[in-house]
Amino acid sequence: MKKWSERILLSLLIVLVAAAIVLIGAFYFRLISDRIFEDSTGHLSEIYGQVNRSFGAFVERNWGFLKSWDSCFALSENADADVESEAEFIALEKKNWGFSDFYFISADGKCMTPDGTEYGFDLSEELEKLMSGESIISGETLPSGREVTVFAVPVNNNLYGGFEFQAIAVSYTNDDLAASLNVDAFSGKAKCFVIKSDGTVLLSTQTGGNVFENYLTYLRAASDLDESGLSKLKSDWESGLSAVTRCKIGEVEHCILYQPVGYQDLILLSAVPESAVSAGFLSVQKITMTVLIVIFLLAGATVLVIIVIQSNKRSKMTRTELQYRELMFDVLSNSVDDIFIMLDSNNDSVDYISPNLERLLGVPVEEARQDIRALEKCAVNFNVVIPRPELEAIPLNENRYWECEYMHQTTGERRWYRMTIYRMMIRDVGKYIVVMSDRTLEQQMNQKLQEALDAARSANEAKSNFLSNMSHDIRTPMNAIVGFSVLLEKDADKPEKVREYTRKITASSHHLLSLINDVLDMSKIESGKTSLNVDRFSLPELLEEIGIIIMPQAKAKNQEFSTRVNGAPPEQLIGDKLRLNQILINILSNAVKYTPEGGKISFAVCEISGAAPQFTKLRFTVSDNGIGMSEEFQKNIFAPFSREINSVTNRIQGTGLGMAITKNLVDLMGGIIELESAPGKGSKFTVELSFSLPEQETGDEWYRQKVSRMLVADDEEDICINIKSLMSGTGVEVSYVTDGLAAVDAAATAHLHGEDFNVILLDWKMPGADGVETARLIRTKVGHDVPILVLTSYDWSDIEDEARSAGINAFMSKPFFVSTFWQTIKPLFAGHAEPETENKPAGENVMNGRLFLVAEDNELNAEILAEMLDMEGAKCEIVQNGLEAVEAFTKSEPGKYDMILMDVQMPVMNGYDATRKIRTCGRPDAKTIPIAAMTANTFAEDVKNSMEAGMDGHLAKPIDMNAVRELVGKLLSKNNKPTEGD
Amino acid sequence: MRKFLALALALAIALGISSCSAENGGGYAFTLMGKKSDLVKSYMTAIFGLYEKTTGNKIKIISYEDSEYETRAAADFESGNAPDVFMHFHNAEIQRFHPEKNFYYLNNESWVNDLTDSAKAYCQDGDGNLLGLPFWESSVSGCYYNKTILDGLGLKPATTQREFDTLCQVLADTGYTPICWPADGCTWILQFGLDPIFADDPEMLEKINSNEISYSDIPEVADMFGWIAGAAEKGWLGNGYLETGWDDISPAMSSGSAVMTFIWDTWFYTDFKPGKYTIDDFALMPVFLNTVENGTYEGGNLNMMTVNKNSERLEEALGFLEFCADPENYNLAFDGISTVSCFNRQTTNIQSKMVTDARESIAECERVSTAASRIIGYSADDANAALVELLRKKNDVAGCVKQLDEKRLAEIQKESD
Repeated sequence: MKKWSERILLSLLIVLVAAAIVLIGAFYFRLISDRIFEDSTGHLSEIYGQVNRSFGAFVERNWGFLKSWDSCFALSENADADVESEAEFIALEKKNWGFSDFYFISADGKCMTPDGTEYGFDLSEELEKLMSGESIISGETLPSGREVTVFAVPVNNNLYGGFEFQAIAVSYTNDDLAASLNVDAFSGKAKCFVIKSDGTVLLSTQTGGNVFENYLTYLRAASDLDESGLSKLKSDWESGLSAVTRCKIGEVEHCILYQPVGYQDLILLSAVPESAVSAGFLSVQKITMTVLIVIFLLAGATVLVIIVIQSNKRSKMTRTELQYRELMFDVLSNSVDDIFIMLDSNNDSVDYISPNLERLLGVPVEEARQDIRALEKCAVNFNVVIPRPELEAIPLNENRYWECEYMHQTTGERRWYRMTIYRMMIRDVGKYIVVMSDRTLEQQMNQKLQEALDAARSANEAKSNFLSNMSHDIRTPMNAIVGFSVLLEKDADKPEKVREYTRKITASSHHLLSLINDVLDMSKIESGKTSLNVDRFSLPELLEEIGIIIMPQAKAKNQEFSTRVNGAPPEQLIGDKLRLNQILINILSNAVKYTPEGGKISFAVCEISGAAPQFTKLRFTVSDNGIGMSEEFQKNIFAPFSREINSVTNRIQGTGLGMAITKNLVDLMGGIIELESAPGKGSKFTVELSFSLPEQETGDEWYRQKVSRMLVADDEEDICINIKSLMSGTGVEVSYVTDGLAAVDAAATAHLHGEDFNVILLDWKMPGADGVETARLIRTKVGHDVPILVLTSYDWSDIEDEARSAGINAFMSKPFFVSTFWQTIKPLFAGHAEPETENKPAGENVMNGRLFLVAEDNELNAEILAEMLDMEGAKCEIVQNGLEAVEAFTKSEPGKYDMILMDVQMPVMNGYDATRKIRTCGRPDAKTIPIAAMTANTFAEDVKNSMEAGMDGHLAKPIDMNAVRELVGKLLSKNNKPTEGD
Repeated sequence: MRKFLALALALAIALGISSCSAENGGGYAFTLMGKKSDLVKSYMTAIFGLYEKTTGNKIKIISYEDSEYETRAAADFESGNAPDVFMHFHNAEIQRFHPEKNFYYLNNESWVNDLTDSAKAYCQDGDGNLLGLPFWESSVSGCYYNKTILDGLGLKPATTQREFDTLCQVLADTGYTPICWPADGCTWILQFGLDPIFADDPEMLEKINSNEISYSDIPEVADMFGWIAGAAEKGWLGNGYLETGWDDISPAMSSGSAVMTFIWDTWFYTDFKPGKYTIDDFALMPVFLNTVENGTYEGGNLNMMTVNKNSERLEEALGFLEFCADPENYNLAFDGISTVSCFNRQTTNIQSKMVTDARESIAECERVSTAASRIIGYSADDANAALVELLRKKNDVAGCVKQLDEKRLAEIQKESD
């Protein structure tokens, strides 16, 4: 605003200065003009005064001459002689003077030339003057039409050729006279007349003749003089005054100068264009004015140049600044993800568009510059050009914004922008300034937040559900425990009731324990305290152990469970067997849990490529034809506390933590877990994990020399082919058949040819003759020398006796592993008849008669344990802490205690330290006495810590006597072997 | 009364012509040949009727259509069937009828002195022999000027070329258009300037007709074109003269926007439409086109009656001419006709005051229409076209004159072909 005011003031100042210069110039010009006019008219008067005087002298001279001739025309008697001599005289004078004619004038106005020609001059009033003795001048037109001026003087009466005359005259043609009076000045533009006081033109000095009859009449018609001016002229002329007046004739300013000639009423009048009058002066004036104008122009031009230079300088600076700003803006906009556009509101033409457009949206800047609608193709679900009514609805100097989603034209990347449009006027031109602020990160963050929020809500919901479930799940077994405990007390005298109640209390306790274990496990994983216990383990053993766990569960639901090993994966691996076991058990348990009775569950293992050297990558696949999962639930299956809610799952107990634990463990082991499932069609879990490979062991392989041919019978040919493939590297020739009878034939045929198979491997369950029947038939053909093994996925304990009586030497769990095979047949060729002593699931009570040192600070737990051991026929000595345990052990006789059961968390000295003390106390049995941890710390780390402390086993509280029995059996038999071997 | 009588005569004689022009089986005093359109002019029919009625002689009228008149008449002359009285304008075409061989020189006829000088001059050949009796309506072409305007300005008409120039300049200075010059298709003006050159010097006319000289050899021709171009430059022709045509002359003159124009007196009765100024405001002075100092008037083109000197009825033919030249008869025939007099004693015709007032000047300066009628190959259109090229500055004066020569020669060639 201030700038505009300054500009207006400056403009006004310039206008005022210019006006002042013009006024001064005009004043000066007027002053000069007036002065020049005065000088010019003076000059004019002087010139024509000279002309007037010349004319007067000419008149006087003519009159003088004529008067002097009076005596020459004296009357004579010899008239003819006189005429002749007079004519000669006149001719001579004519030649001298230059007049055109000589006239004798009579009193009545007639005239006669010397040659006798008579004219009738129209002297009118002049004649009277002439006759009265005055000399006159008169303009006359000769019969020939030629105009002449006559100068006449009165003379004495006389005769010429008989013609009586009283005056004589000479005439000059007006052309001649004009030539003598003509003024060369004024560029020949001056008109000069001798007029009478009434304006009648007597003589014109112009060459070319006179066309004026009356100059006053002419001026009245042709000039701008009004009647008063004309009257003044006439008055001046009649009064014989001299003056100069100005008037416009036609379009040209004239100076009219008049001076009395001095004879009669004759006036010398000249009419000269002012431009001619003042030509000389005007040229000076023009030069002066030109110089002044040039000075002014130069000054103006200088000022203008300075202004232009300054303006250009400012403009250049402004341009530079603008360019700099624009460049800076370009650089700035290039470094941000916001897009800036300026549009003309009239035609949507683009004034500016930031160069980052192509980077951000993949639209070339030039393309958008030519047509802003080029952005439309980037728009997702909207038109980039906001409808004009909406744009025009934006109040001036205000803005509106729209949230828009764009897609990069090259990369397809989605970006979100807030398009803020400002409407404004810039120099009276409507503009829209569009600022497209990148909101992609914000949008993505919002999305993530939303997802997180959803997840949190889901988790919260899950947790609420979990708590609800937990409440239900915990209360349910607790309710059973409490309830049956009450009943137990009530029916203590009824053994059948007591057994039933205690069995149910036990089941409920186990379920509650499982629940607590899962919760704690999950808590441990989530708190990041879980670590892997990596060690060498056997894949076949792992699969066998899994089979042992899952098979009964499947059997209980009448489900078909099969384990298959595809290819020849390494049998010895280095990894966390416990966690792997946990992963697979979780998945398989779920498969059993969510597969209806009679369903199928397949467990397959194969080696896949892609592992680094010294590593292998295994894929474990668990497939079932169970209830499957909805797609929605599949997304959350690995989330903690998630359980699909439907009519089926509601009836199945679970914490919703199993798969979350599984997923976390897989992640912990650097593997992947994938799921394919469809409701009603079952599920398929795939777990891929990498394991290190241990160095190959060399050992006693004498027994391998005894096996060169073997027969395999399995109704599943794939298994046969697989076994053949696995055995191909061992040098054992494998023949296979797909049913029992064929196996019998093959064995018999071989036997007949004296080429008995070294080993016959039979599937248990085959159509037609099963494995047991086939073995019985084979034995009838080939005798008992050939070892027959049964390969089965099922628990063979139920048929073991029958099988052995049928001639079966040993059992192998599916899947078939070479190492398992060798280990199984090794005792057969070595003459051992009891290869499965350790795993014997039932039989003698290993607890019976044992003495345990129990370190337990909790009296209740100690009492329970003591009672439970007592129930098993074992005794125990209980100490309150680790130190007491150490002291009790060190003070005891060697071999007194069969085993030490050590609580971990105890006052005075914990279980770990106590174990270390025992192991290092120096007693002979200090290093061999089995020590088992007995603790509520059930995690792998706890197990690991126990082992590191020198313990041999780990029992989780609450104490499960089956687990105690199993562990005791395992440790004590191992511990006793040297003794037995002796 | 005289008009009524003339009309009655005309009607009666028209009937007579009809009978004459038809194949008549009766006797006749002589034969008279003329263009059909010429013969029906009222004054012609009047004189024919008057003659026949007065003398009782019959005239055998031979008329041809205008378009074939020259051809058929020439054929008649060549075939020995020339008429006793032959009507023709004194123009270049008359030479094909070999006047010296076929026409009776009328120099000594009794009526010769009654002819006006201009009429007599028109009918004379280069040797001064009077070839025919002019019996035709005529006009005077000159510079018609607005006397009222000039008087109002205190100016007087020019008597010389220099005065005319002065007058033009004074008028221009005063704000008037001095001359209305209709350059667009109005072709008659240039011949006014050329007339004096050839009328005053019959020898020059012969030379140019025999192609001994061309226009380029005659300085006055260049002087004329130069003056016109100069006049245009000085503004004497006003503005828009190149677009000014026939129809523009009357408005310019009647309104007073132009003061002078080069026209003929009968134009004021046929085409002039009075406005601010009427016919009474106009007067006549000579045309000044810088070819003669004192200016010129162009006399009218007159149809003249020639007599076949080889005719067997020569006396009857001469007697008819004498009858026609009788003041009583021609005054009866031309009673009420607007025309310049051919005879000094012609009184019944209507002459404009403009012409009457300027009779002395006309008598002094009038020239027979020579350029247009007697220069072989002269084309008014060509002359004007050359002038327009000059005025448009597409040509200079010398080029303009050269163009005029070329056009004339081309015209001659065309006619000879």
